[in-house]
Amino acid sequence: MVNPISFDQLTEEEKYQHFIERIEAGEKIEADDWMPADYRMTLIKLISMHGISEIMGALPEKEWVPKAPSLRRKLGIMAKVQDEMGHGQLLLRVVEDLMKPLGKSRENIIQDLLSGDLKFHNVFHMEAKTWGDAGLIGWLVDGAAIITQTNMLDASYGPYARALKRICAEEVFHAQHGEAIIMALAEGTDEQKAMIQDSINRWWEALLMFFGPGDASTTGTSKQDTTIKYKIRTKTNEELRQDFFTKYIPRVLSLGLKLPDETMHFDQESGMWQYQQPDWSKFKQIIKNNGPKSKDRLRLREISYSNNKWVIDALSAKA
Amino acid sequence: MSGKGFYQEFEVFSKRTDTSPLQYQFSLLAPNHELALVMAQENFMRREPVADIWVVKRDDVRKMTLEERQTLQRLDNKDYRNTKGYGYLKKKWRHYEQEMLDEKEILSWGGKQEK
Amino acid sequence: MRYALEDAMKNEAYRDAAVELLFQLADDDFILAYRGSEWLGLAPHIEEDVAFSSISQDTMGHAAMFYQLLHELGAGDPDELAHARPASDRKNAILLEKVNGPGTYLTEPHYDWAFAVVRNYFYAQAKKVKIESLKNSSYQPLAEAAVKVNMELYYHLLHWKTWFSQLVSAGGEATTRMETAMETAFGDLDGLFSLGQKGAEMVKHNLIESEDDLRKRWVQAMSPVVASLDINMPEKFGMKSGNGRDGVHSSDLQSALDTLGEVYNFDPAASW
Repeated sequence: MVNPISFDQLTEEEKYQHFIERIEAGEKIEADDWMPADYRMTLIKLISMHGISEIMGALPEKEWVPKAPSLRRKLGIMAKVQDEMGHGQLLLRVVEDLMKPLGKSRENIIQDLLSGDLKFHNVFHMEAKTWGDAGLIGWLVDGAAIITQTNMLDASYGPYARALKRICAEEVFHAQHGEAIIMALAEGTDEQKAMIQDSINRWWEALLMFFGPGDASTTGTSKQDTTIKYKIRTKTNEELRQDFFTKYIPRVLSLGLKLPDETMHFDQESGMWQYQQPDWSKFKQIIKNNGPKSKDRLRLREISYSNNKWVIDALSAKA
Repeated sequence: MSGKGFYQEFEVFSKRTDTSPLQYQFSLLAPNHELALVMAQENFMRREPVADIWVVKRDDVRKMTLEERQTLQRLDNKDYRNTKGYGYLKKKWRHYEQEMLDEKEILSWGGKQEK
Repeated sequence: MRYALEDAMKNEAYRDAAVELLFQLADDDFILAYRGSEWLGLAPHIEEDVAFSSISQDTMGHAAMFYQLLHELGAGDPDELAHARPASDRKNAILLEKVNGPGTYLTEPHYDWAFAVVRNYFYAQAKKVKIESLKNSSYQPLAEAAVKVNMELYYHLLHWKTWFSQLVSAGGEATTRMETAMETAFGDLDGLFSLGQKGAEMVKHNLIESEDDLRKRWVQAMSPVVASLDINMPEKFGMKSGNGRDGVHSSDLQSALDTLGEVYNFDPAASW
């Protein structure tokens, strides 16, 4: 452990210094440990957004659970949506502990979601129109999520790192579940093949946006510098997006699918993929709950909350 | 959050098999012990075997503070507590033409009864 | 006598009775698991959403086992049996096909947690009674499946009994809602025990015990709960909506079939 000290005798400045030394030394910060206010706030913002995105992310795929085309697919996608809710549970528990000193709890998180104060990932504002979309979400959206989440497996905040370890282990199943659906379609009838191509065409821009803007100049603010400074993650948005291209583009092409961006290519000189930037002003609108399905999905959460309130009330007194 | 209410914090522990030690899993929210218990396995152990589950109210757990965790450190100078500090006996016993009764040997004594 | 698959295939009357029973078992589990899958993301509590989903998965897994047994008896492909049979061929109890509440799972799902708890608890207990009986079924593959299914029922029962007991005894609105849900469930509960028109054949061939025995065992199993929670259980249960074992169904089932078969029916010959 870094510099044993008697904590109450330290000035705020010294506490901060000690905290920085701890994370530099690779120690994990625990929920009840002293932490700088902006570390706490950065984590709260990051993890509440991550957690609620899992909960909201269950909804587009859930639309296809009852419709899944075989018993095996029905079971697989049910298990996958269950995992999304389960990941939401893990992450909300982590953020609830961080919020506790601020007097906030799960109810506040749900309220913040419904009021629009708490944002969720752009991809989960999009329509899942076809069974192909259900496959594509598992394959590429979860693929993108694996890239960003594995990047934080060694996060300085211990509870988050431990939750991510559980989550990433299950994401491997998700990716394979998605691949299985896509593979069946890619090897299927012409209509089935057309179904995935159509999904890629519609989801491409959202996938690019998933990693966030390259830097603050596109959308005004960026949290990425703070999260890197505090060793919550190591790579920038653009580095993660490039990793995603490297891992997934060859696979997409190998199935005979086309990218909806004709300019897309790997530039040997810079060692980077060159691509058409998505419309970042659209991104800003989407995450402000002005995406195609934002309102409908929030409405589902609102109904669940208000319809089941009697259950919460009924059992509150029995503790 | 403490006191009454639906959202009580529970810590979940489980054993993978009858003989494995109790392991911490994660925490969940539930209105009482019974509901915490019926939700625990599916939330944290749905892909692995479980032989037993304990749920403990968070309020009943006394954790260490960062400062208190410093009290856990020890010098690595206590080989007299371990077999490591008595390794020289092996050579001694050899002198008397006897095998050393080491940990591996001793722990094998309880083994199966031979009929 | 114990029948292996080959024995059953040689005795037409026996096979027909076994097929009929298996359709009831498979369709019951399948449609209730489907109703459970509509609840995903909408349960009262995130932790419970996860737990409930496991039960729905288990239940659909049991349905898949029963469809597989049907397949072996020459009834057809399991996926086709699950996705492509018209409502009039379905043998599930009507109580299990009823919607979760007003709205659909996609729009304005005003689902009723009290009904979910009551229906699932009553069903889990009825299934437990049946499965215990089926462990001694003359049809060997079914008896073996019953032993497996039984393993997961302990959890289903404990889970639903816990929710049931707590909500019934909570008082106020919760108790009222639970009573309303029970009234609905009791009104169609006999549909769960019914063995349909081939019931006598099933009993004669020792495939399963009689409806009366099953119902009696259910009442017996429930009586400690009924007594401790002071529940007003009717002397007789009903089959108000009709007998699903005879292929009689509500429009709720038809709309469920339209949804659950949507992708499958897009191209039944395709591999998905």
